Amino acid sequence: MVPFGTESERDARPGELMVAIVAIVLALATASLPESGQQRISSALQSVVLRPFIATQERLEEARIGAAQADSLMALVDSLSGVYSTHSALLNENRTLRTLLELADRAGPSYKPATVLRPGTPGSESMFLVDVGEDDGIRRGSSVVSPRGLVGVIREVRPQNAVGMDWTHPDFRASAMLADGSAYGLVENRRGRFREDDRLLLNGVAYNQEVAPGALVVTSGLGVYPRGIPLGRIDEVNDEEGSWRRSYWLVPMVEPGSATHVLVLTPEVVDDVFEVWSQDSVPPTDSVEADDGPG
Amino acid sequence: MSAPVKLYSWVALLLVLHLLLHVGFAYGTGAPDLLTLALLLAAREVGLGRAAVLGLFFGLLEDALSVLAFGANSIAMTLVAVGGALSRDFFVGDSRIFLVSYVFAGKWIRDLIHWIAMGEGLRQPFWEQVLVQGALQSLYVAAIALVLSVVVGLGNES
Repeated sequence: MVPFGTESERDARPGELMVAIVAIVLALATASLPESGQQRISSALQSVVLRPFIATQERLEEARIGAAQADSLMALVDSLSGVYSTHSALLNENRTLRTLLELADRAGPSYKPATVLRPGTPGSESMFLVDVGEDDGIRRGSSVVSPRGLVGVIREVRPQNAVGMDWTHPDFRASAMLADGSAYGLVENRRGRFREDDRLLLNGVAYNQEVAPGALVVTSGLGVYPRGIPLGRIDEVNDEEGSWRRSYWLVPMVEPGSATHVLVLTPEVVDDVFEVWSQDSVPPTDSVEADDGPG
Repeated sequence: MSAPVKLYSWVALLLVLHLLLHVGFAYGTGAPDLLTLALLLAAREVGLGRAAVLGLFFGLLEDALSVLAFGANSIAMTLVAVGGALSRDFFVGDSRIFLVSYVFAGKWIRDLIHWIAMGEGLRQPFWEQVLVQGALQSLYVAAIALVLSVVVGLGNES
């Protein structure tokens, strides 16, 4: 590093030393200034030279606080979403239970209310547990129903609980008829490519029997199920065999996966039970299609 | 670009960077003391009087943000600037080793004077503030000076 001026040029500045001395004296004096004087100097420098830098820090701080507030708000939104989703699940459960309660009131003490538990293990997709058993009067073959209709049947009974299968099980069969008794057949499960594609099929209907789409199909009372439990509604023709038999796809009344609370029929129930599913439990065709869609 | 213009440009740049890092971004001791570096570089070039005034200005800038020890930075920076300006009468060197040593010593002396000027009630223990933190900060600034010297030839105007 070399000075900008030459030696002679620097010597030509006699005031340099005096300026330096004045600067040193001023520097020493600043420490002795009264507080108001110090504040005036500080304010002047802060409002002129330091202003853009202080403003930068303020903006950064605002951005930092904004980011923290955004995180906080996001956490709040997440919490509210969690509460809301739980709330909505509770509302659904409450609605289901109320409907079930109305059905139980109509059905009487022969229908045992139960909670459905699904094991969730591989191979148990169509099976479920109910928390009522032999001690509650449940027997093998007892029907399991919801306010909409038939869910399944009990296969194995223990003192405190029972194992059942729903209509998506390949072994499910139910003797069925149209609600007006005009046609009979056998309702069975047909597996789809996915579980959601599983459908009910009304098989063995006489070829010359007119079956209108939307007609209600209920259990016929032949076999283990009492007469009159809704199974589904006629959707469309599936197949025709020669000129003597037809089969129809059904829109099921119950989605087994959504059944969390059910009623299990005891052996005392043997009569026609269709009146239990009165008009408010068996919705008209339009709403069934809108609610459930194809099984 | 002439040497004085280049020097003042660097001083201005270092001043802005220092204020940006320390005031704008509030990095604190994580950022190097570029203001002292700028002062030390300028002091050997601009003459005794201008160096002292520059030191006083820089010191006041730092004091403007110092609530309790107003004046300590002004004293330290002015004296360091005077010392830097006088050093060219004793050391005529433009090597990098000299530059690094000069910056290191200048920064450390600045911290020492600042520690003394702060007053007994405000300063931390001598070994902590001057010996440890002062030495580390001086090394930091000297390293920056070395980098600038290598990369852009700062301090080697000849």
